[in-house]
Amino acid sequence: METKSTSSFTNLVDQSVCPGDVVLDLSKMINQTIKLGGGLRQDCDAISVMKAGRLRFSKPHKYWVENSQKRYVPYAEDSVLGIVVDSRSDNFLVDIKGPTLAFLPVLAFEGGTRRNIPRFEIGTLIYVRVIKANPGMNPELSCTDASGKAAEFGALKDGYMFECTTGQSRMLLSSPTCPVLDALGKKLSFEIAVGLNGRVWVDAASPHTTIVVANAIMNSETLSGAQQRIMVEKLLQRIQ
Amino acid sequence: METDRPDGRTPNQLRPLVCSCSILHRSHGSASWAQGETKVLAAVYGPKAGTKKSENPEKASIEVIWKPKTGQIGKVEKEYEMILKRTLESICIRTIYPNTTTSVIVQVVHDDGALLPCAINAACAALVDAGIPLKHLAVAICCSVTDSGCIILDPTKDEEEKMKAFINLVFPNTIVSVLPEGSLQAGSEPMAHGIMTSITQGAMSVDDYLHCLERGRAASARLSEFVRKNIELKSTSEASKAG
Repeated sequence: METKSTSSFTNLVDQSVCPGDVVLDLSKMINQTIKLGGGLRQDCDAISVMKAGRLRFSKPHKYWVENSQKRYVPYAEDSVLGIVVDSRSDNFLVDIKGPTLAFLPVLAFEGGTRRNIPRFEIGTLIYVRVIKANPGMNPELSCTDASGKAAEFGALKDGYMFECTTGQSRMLLSSPTCPVLDALGKKLSFEIAVGLNGRVWVDAASPHTTIVVANAIMNSETLSGAQQRIMVEKLLQRIQ
Repeated sequence: METDRPDGRTPNQLRPLVCSCSILHRSHGSASWAQGETKVLAAVYGPKAGTKKSENPEKASIEVIWKPKTGQIGKVEKEYEMILKRTLESICIRTIYPNTTTSVIVQVVHDDGALLPCAINAACAALVDAGIPLKHLAVAICCSVTDSGCIILDPTKDEEEKMKAFINLVFPNTIVSVLPEGSLQAGSEPMAHGIMTSITQGAMSVDDYLHCLERGRAASARLSEFVRKNIELKSTSEASKAG
């Protein structure tokens, strides 16, 4: 019976799952310590799926459902691109494409004190880290990494920002480097920031290059790796 | 007794199903669902912050807006909105995003009979596309009873006008489970045999109603397969870019 259950677990991992599918039976697991990621929920001894996608497993006991959507669900330690929509005395209100606006405390910057609060215009694009994302509360952001350094966070000036799905932004951030960025990087010089909330910022020396890079990334969403390289090569031939 | 149908279908045959997802750019999830000539376009926005005054802010609320093909919405459309809202509320997990509102806009593209089940199927597909947390999926089907007592699935508009009575049924989707057989049953019936919504029009005897349930369950199994294949197609196209 346990062998049969084990084969059932293996069968569902990396498979497409639909909401309502039961993917784990806790009453039969020997080591009952598991970590549930996004898209799964517990109902007594059964773990069932909440979102359609692909069930993933990473050792030793982490399960999640990988899917692609336009709406972002904030999680702690995500790096996201936010747009400042308001500033209060102690917080900036930042839109990160989640269910609610996020709070960015005025002291959450490297070397931030009451005397040198940074000034952000409404509409500023900033690269921030989510530090708290509890249900029922507004997420809290920070412009520093865990050690307090600014690292790559902060305001992004100039450039061009466009939106894609969360699945595509995860693909752009995956390692090894995704084929479209690899192919573009060989020929063009540009700067890019990818947020896990489905926003991408591109900057280059000339607007022409920026537009080419942005269009290549937008077109690559439904292509496979080889197709992405071919698409980029055709695009670059056309502009030379 | 076999009934000849004008379009050549057998009594238990559904019209061809077509479903497309992610077709609208601005919405967070969208789906177009067609059954024969009947076609409905559903768009989902949200979850967005805030709830209406009459709603419970401790739970996520769902707002349904029905757009008819022509003219203004009347009493029939208001009833459809309410039915759709209750059905969607029963399949969504509403405790995850408290004090938010999810808007579902349903646009009728063409009405050739069995409009409400088509709209329910389109709205469920749009919710899946938007990534709204769901307990399970739902499939909707329309059965009708002729004057001679025959039961016909998925009637067209011409057939609807000749029917004595008809019923709209919504069932949960069949699920894949690693639990042993029988543990997900309520009593002696599998979970997928439960009825989420049942709306009848016209006079119908109890026997006819039970026969309609039987036919509806059998047809919902086919619809469930179609919905699952559609979701797998979407996941497969996503997996190809990850590879």
